[in-house]
Amino acid sequence: MVQLASGTSVSERLQPAKPALSWVTTAARVVLAGVLIVAGALKIGAPALSVQAVRAYQLLPDSVAQVVGYGLPVLEIITGLLLLVGLFTRAAAVVGGVLMVAFVIGIASAWARGLRIDCGCFGGDGTLAAGQDPNYFWELLRDFGLLVCAAWIVVRPASRFSLDSALGFTGERETTDEDGSDEGEDDGA
Amino acid sequence: MSKRTSEAARARIAAQRETLRKQEQRKRVTMIVTIAVVVVIAVAFAVWSVRQGASEKVAGGLAPVTVQEDGTVVMAKSGVTAPVVDVFEDFQCPACKQFEETSGSTLKNLAAEGKAKVVYHPITIFGQEPTKGNSLRAASAARCVTDGQQWLAYHDKLYKNQPSETVTGFTADELIKWGKEAGVTAPDFDNCVREQRNVAAHQQFSEKTMSTQKLTGTPTIKLDGKDLDTSVAFVPNSLREAVESAGK
Repeated sequence: MVQLASGTSVSERLQPAKPALSWVTTAARVVLAGVLIVAGALKIGAPALSVQAVRAYQLLPDSVAQVVGYGLPVLEIITGLLLLVGLFTRAAAVVGGVLMVAFVIGIASAWARGLRIDCGCFGGDGTLAAGQDPNYFWELLRDFGLLVCAAWIVVRPASRFSLDSALGFTGERETTDEDGSDEGEDDGA
Repeated sequence: MSKRTSEAARARIAAQRETLRKQEQRKRVTMIVTIAVVVVIAVAFAVWSVRQGASEKVAGGLAPVTVQEDGTVVMAKSGVTAPVVDVFEDFQCPACKQFEETSGSTLKNLAAEGKAKVVYHPITIFGQEPTKGNSLRAASAARCVTDGQQWLAYHDKLYKNQPSETVTGFTADELIKWGKEAGVTAPDFDNCVREQRNVAAHQQFSEKTMSTQKLTGTPTIKLDGKDLDTSVAFVPNSLREAVESAGK
């Protein structure tokens, strides 16, 4: 009786375990997408400020800073939109993750070099107002958290409320593999 | 019997293959459509963004420029007293350079069109070397220029040649050379720059300005005394719109 109960509970627990994880991916998608879209939208309207914020890091040559200043908000918004609707989720998450790695490197290096700047993450020109202190620690923590979200999505891209699953893209790699072996047998027969 | 089974199996496999082929095709189509949509959105955003950041060209001549006693410089058509655009800037501040590159020409045009009175307030916000010294030398040199038009040309020259915040720049020789290039004709300009004659006056002016105007950074752009948000000031179209509607 007890055995039976525990047995069913285990199988029950195992069964919904996967859907639960796909919900985690959905949550990670929404969080990462939300931050990317908001960050991009706040920057895209004033590209001169965005360029200035990139320059404030003193990491990139001027011409590259221009390109990043104009291009980054566009990239953030598009990556965010793809994550939000869940289309090519894994690829979008890879891009999001790479962005977060770049941001972490940028902020950490600004901190290490003793620069006193604002990250410019959500608009602004990267300068701090008088009497304002940099928030490097929290900025790094936030971007690291978002990096974890991105990594999770890359590892488990299948999720609820995604166009990928609606279109039957998720888990299709296994099907292709099965198909490959089927085909081989078939050709042999 | 066995023939029929193998036929059935073959049919099943064929059907399976067909489904897979369709799935693959759907994936390919989705991929192409997505890429196309992404490209279109990216281009649209990029075009809009570039337009947002695009600077105006200085079309005609400049409005009359006058160097004031206290070191501020007024650019306005005669008789135009409002709306007032105050520009608090530091020659060494990179964001000020960016503002100048982005919106400087818009201010010149607005003044020339008689739509605004623009007042430049060069100050020094930096407290640490080498930025402080750079800023002081440049601002002091600018005060050696007495003609308004020449001052503005020199002002633009200083931003164009702004040194990095990590090195000592704006040397006396450079400051004099750029003055010549900007057409400065003030008779004692060379000595004035070399002796840094105006540093004390400029420092006093800076301190007073920062406290009375409650400045927290540069550039600070004020429209009729009210701080203009950077997301307006750094977008030429928005800046023009704000100034024009203040003039109505």
